Amino acid sequence: MSMAANYTLISARTTFRNTRFILFTVALPVVMYLLFNNLYGDRTDGGIDVGSYLMVSMAAYGGIGATINAGARIAIERQTGWNRQLRLSALTARGYLFAKAAVSLLVALPAIVLVFLAGALFGSAHLTLGQWLGCGLALWLALIPFGVIGLVIGFLATVESAQPLTMLVYMALAILGGLWFPVSQFPAALQHVARALPSYWAADIARAPLAGQNIPPGGVLVLAAWTVGLGLLAMAGYRRSGRRV
Amino acid sequence: MTTSPATHSAPSVGDTAPEPDGAAVRLTGLHKSFGSVHAVRGIDLTIAPGEVVAFLGPNGAGKSTTIDMMLGLTKPDSGAARLFGDDPAAVVRSGSVGAMLQSGALLPDLTVRQLVAMFAALHRHPLPVDEALERAGVTEISGQQTTKLSGGQAQRVRFALALVPDPDLLLLDEPTVAMDVELRRSFWASMRQFAADGKTVLFATHYLEEADDFADRVVVLARGRIVADGTGAQIKATVAGRTISAAVTGAAPEMVQALPGVATAERQGPRMVLHCTDSDAAVRALLAAYPDSHDIEIRTGNLEDAFLELTASTVRSDSAPRRPATSSRRTPPAPPSLTGSTVRSDHAQPSLAASTNGAAA
Repeated sequence: MSMAANYTLISARTTFRNTRFILFTVALPVVMYLLFNNLYGDRTDGGIDVGSYLMVSMAAYGGIGATINAGARIAIERQTGWNRQLRLSALTARGYLFAKAAVSLLVALPAIVLVFLAGALFGSAHLTLGQWLGCGLALWLALIPFGVIGLVIGFLATVESAQPLTMLVYMALAILGGLWFPVSQFPAALQHVARALPSYWAADIARAPLAGQNIPPGGVLVLAAWTVGLGLLAMAGYRRSGRRV
Repeated sequence: MTTSPATHSAPSVGDTAPEPDGAAVRLTGLHKSFGSVHAVRGIDLTIAPGEVVAFLGPNGAGKSTTIDMMLGLTKPDSGAARLFGDDPAAVVRSGSVGAMLQSGALLPDLTVRQLVAMFAALHRHPLPVDEALERAGVTEISGQQTTKLSGGQAQRVRFALALVPDPDLLLLDEPTVAMDVELRRSFWASMRQFAADGKTVLFATHYLEEADDFADRVVVLARGRIVADGTGAQIKATVAGRTISAAVTGAAPEMVQALPGVATAERQGPRMVLHCTDSDAAVRALLAAYPDSHDIEIRTGNLEDAFLELTASTVRSDSAPRRPATSSRRTPPAPPSLTGSTVRSDHAQPSLAASTNGAAA
């Protein structure tokens, strides 16, 4: 496991050294939050103030984008042949997966923190300290499956196709998961689709502390199912990545 | 560390080398296809600890695929690859094998030192970073960005990465590609130093001189099969044999041809030219029968010719026993086994000069 910890550090360092990438993961959700907040932020809907709801949605949107993109970056590493070299180290497939998932979560932190910061400074989010921490932590942990989604994309796609594929998956998850428009406004059929998606549950779980509710266990189950299923795929992808490209 | 380059020809097992089945590398019945391309078609090979072996073959012979299977990077369709009696993946994780892969493998946005240190952090008992840099001869360029290296420098950095696990076995896939003459020379000096510690080396190459100069044993691959296996000298003898040319008076070619070790003999002006299966026996018999023979020259076949002939013969026919080619160079009948069985000899590496025209007597 120490190899996995070492690789987490190494991989985080190289990812964060790419400042353009980090800025990109942060800028979009912050700007979108400020925009939406400006339009609807002062409303209340069913006892929840829309400003806080929007803030959590946009933090989820940013966090999901950061984690998926971080995972998909391994398409680049594969292309350079670095994965073949990695296969000649003591790092195991599980260790690799663990490290990459951990890095994805680290990359998501700036997006979450900055959207929350924007909410506190410029928005109309009024949360207690417990709610800030609860929402943040719940959201952060709910992002684990998205890191794995990114890894699977990174293993399936080439450098050229990774970017558009990531964007496609990201947008589909964001829109269908109700991050841009509330799922309650969807047609009934699409509402069912939304409830099978990790993005819906990530935002839902993150909003639970806002309304003082418990974390929905069904949501946790959906997220766990996505994580395990795609995790197995990603592990197979790592084992395959020793092939020449 | 101060051993002279020549001493590696006496293999001695490194005391750190685990060898439950006695072999550093054991390949049995390896097959691998990619789609319709049958890249490796049944390779059996055993390499003892301490051997320095060249994988010689043209592009597409299956060298890289075989090395990938030795490292567990590619799964064989059938057959098995074992290193030190163990599964390749386990041996890789233990750090007993280091490898230099062809191209790639250097992450951008890092210095050479950072890259080597990063790779070292992923091993259980790595060589100290400075030592890996030093041994690979990249200490001077350790501050450079990996993207700013010349092709030859990048190869040496890959060599440093191969040394990082502090391995007992090195697998090098065309290590000197893109190196200039100077870099190549110093690379082989580093490699010999590694081998001098009794460690095992297998390198793939399509440079004939390299195989002949640096390996104790040359395994020739063509079309996914081993077509010859022996010392550089044996490979040459296998195909071309040795030729004795001497001024002999009072002998007819038929009489000379009857001598032991002689395949054919012909008169060329005042000289007799003997194509031999065993030039040692032939020269002794010649001198015994015709004591006044003089100006004796013994010529070995050119490795390049041997190589071309070996690899070409598998193109002509994949499974039939190799027959002497009908080229201008006359070849002796019944060459020793060419189908993967070992024809190694016990004597040390022959020190053949790059020019293979040796003169004797």
